[in-house]
Amino acid sequence: MGLSQSAYAELLLAVRKNPEEFIDNREDATFLALGRLLDKFAEDREGDDLLEDDEFATARAKRMGKLSIACEKITKACPTCVDARVVQIIASDKDPDVELGLLLDLRDELAGGPWTSDTTGTGDAWNDVFARPWLRLLSRIQFAALDSGRYRMCDEAGENALSLSPADGVGARRACALSRARLEDEEGLNRLEARFSHRGDSWFALSRVILLYKLGRMTAARRALRGMCSLCDGGAYALLRPILIDTYMPDRPQYAPYSFEEATLAVHEADPIILDVPDFALWAERQEDIASAGKSFAEEHGLDW
Amino acid sequence: MSFDPSREDYQRLALRFVSQLDGTDPLRAAREFATFGRRFAQDRDSLPQTDEDRAFHLVSLAATIIDYDLPFSRGGTSQDLLKRARSLLNEAISLDPRCYDAIRMLRAADIPSFDLYYKFLEEAADEVGAHCREQRDLMLATHEGDRAVLASKIAMHPYLRWLGMQASKAVICGRNRQAIGVCDRLLELDPDDTADARFTAAIAYAKLEDEDGLDALARRTRRLSIERARGPEDAWMQIARMSLLFKQYRMAEARRQLETLCNTYPYAAATIFLQHELPDGVFYRLAVPPYSEDELIVACSEATVLFQEGRARFGHGSLGTWLAERAKELAPKEDIDALVAREDSELNGDSGEGR
Repeated sequence: MGLSQSAYAELLLAVRKNPEEFIDNREDATFLALGRLLDKFAEDREGDDLLEDDEFATARAKRMGKLSIACEKITKACPTCVDARVVQIIASDKDPDVELGLLLDLRDELAGGPWTSDTTGTGDAWNDVFARPWLRLLSRIQFAALDSGRYRMCDEAGENALSLSPADGVGARRACALSRARLEDEEGLNRLEARFSHRGDSWFALSRVILLYKLGRMTAARRALRGMCSLCDGGAYALLRPILIDTYMPDRPQYAPYSFEEATLAVHEADPIILDVPDFALWAERQEDIASAGKSFAEEHGLDW
Repeated sequence: MSFDPSREDYQRLALRFVSQLDGTDPLRAAREFATFGRRFAQDRDSLPQTDEDRAFHLVSLAATIIDYDLPFSRGGTSQDLLKRARSLLNEAISLDPRCYDAIRMLRAADIPSFDLYYKFLEEAADEVGAHCREQRDLMLATHEGDRAVLASKIAMHPYLRWLGMQASKAVICGRNRQAIGVCDRLLELDPDDTADARFTAAIAYAKLEDEDGLDALARRTRRLSIERARGPEDAWMQIARMSLLFKQYRMAEARRQLETLCNTYPYAAATIFLQHELPDGVFYRLAVPPYSEDELIVACSEATVLFQEGRARFGHGSLGTWLAERAKELAPKEDIDALVAREDSELNGDSGEGR
């Protein structure tokens, strides 16, 4: 860019301090507005833990509604803001089936157009800030597909994202791992792990257990379960006492690999798949040391058991 | 096809009776056999039978109670029926300790978890297979001609049922590849597919979103019965195809497949709208006429594993919700109204007659 490193650092600080000064086009203004809406939304969520179930439902419906309306305004003013359109779809809080249809329509509308591939020449679309919304759309399609029982579709959307961003800026490999476990595709899961140099995380760990259980390889499944519970902080607790996680808005929160928070996300995302294996949780709880590990974790952290 | 326990009971005794007539002159033999039906119905003890035959008879009585009577009974009657069935099965095992049908039916009542019951079936399968093969070879040695064919087939039935149950429990446990493996074994053992393994396999292929596998299964099993070869595909195959289309988001085609299904089975739209989940047969999948309303009801119940998938909000699953909505559009209003009314009256205990 022609700036020295310190000059660039100064510029960055200045932009962060006062973004409006640096915005000279509608797209950027839209993006900033959306960012602020999402920040507000996240803030509004913070009191959720203290609410009763019905209070929570009301509060949630209210803020989703507000966000949806705000996004509609934004997208009217700036239809090219893909992120706003995706957020609006999520905020409309439809059943996964319906949400998927809306996302697929959006994908079809934008496919092949500008910002659906890498223009930086780095071979990774995530490096292209303008291609990120497209990648986020693909990731959202993954979630909607997963939640509506369409595992191949989830996997394919993920493969699409991975071919555009081999370093997987958007984390598509995670839903792919879950899908392959669900589809009992051992080779597929192995390939995926190898592709990322076996840099595991809670999703890979959980997918492996589910896969082996479904294939009936119970000794290996037990080993994998123990592995997951020792790798993931509070893994046993996360698995046996799943925490209610609200809709990602707009995408998956970032946590340290194998942290307890990460483990709870993986379990949450895997929920439809785990339901499909009705005795999975019971089996896990029956395995030696797993229940006690969960219980200890609960006690240590003041959680319900 | 499935298995009809009463019919099998009859066939076993008929075979034994008839072989006992060997050597008598044909006219006398014919006169003797003419008495068989009456004696079977009214004077069973007078017929030649082994302890194994007696045990199977008790199994057939228990099967009728558990699979055909119990689902329509209520409260105190249910408890009595269960008690009676259990004692019949226990007696069967005391007469024939290798009565594998009775053994697995009793275990089904005692093992509450799908997983552990599946494990039980899997672990004992080889033992059951070995025993049945022994019996089959014995039948082949003892009988001749058509009788040998029938007797040897019947000898294998307990093993076929054992594997059939293993496959269907595998699907319920979420173990679809295992289910397909067992179904393949069944189809090899019995190319006529008496156990209807292809129905379970269709669901498993749909769960794995394996279109090629499903097509190969269809080709392999198309000509199993003349009636089915000439007619539309069975409900399981149609539901599997429809699921695949739904999962591929080919919604217009999925809808067309649903319409075909509705044109194949009577009261189909209403059945699909209700999506009742029946208790699984404990002896075996209920034997019902091909293309009957009951057949679709059984298929839909087994397809719950497909209908209930996904993270749907109101308890119906993605496909289940979509089906209920489309079926409502397709069903004649009178059918739905009639079914809903019948449901309400059954719930209020007005009618204990079931279907």
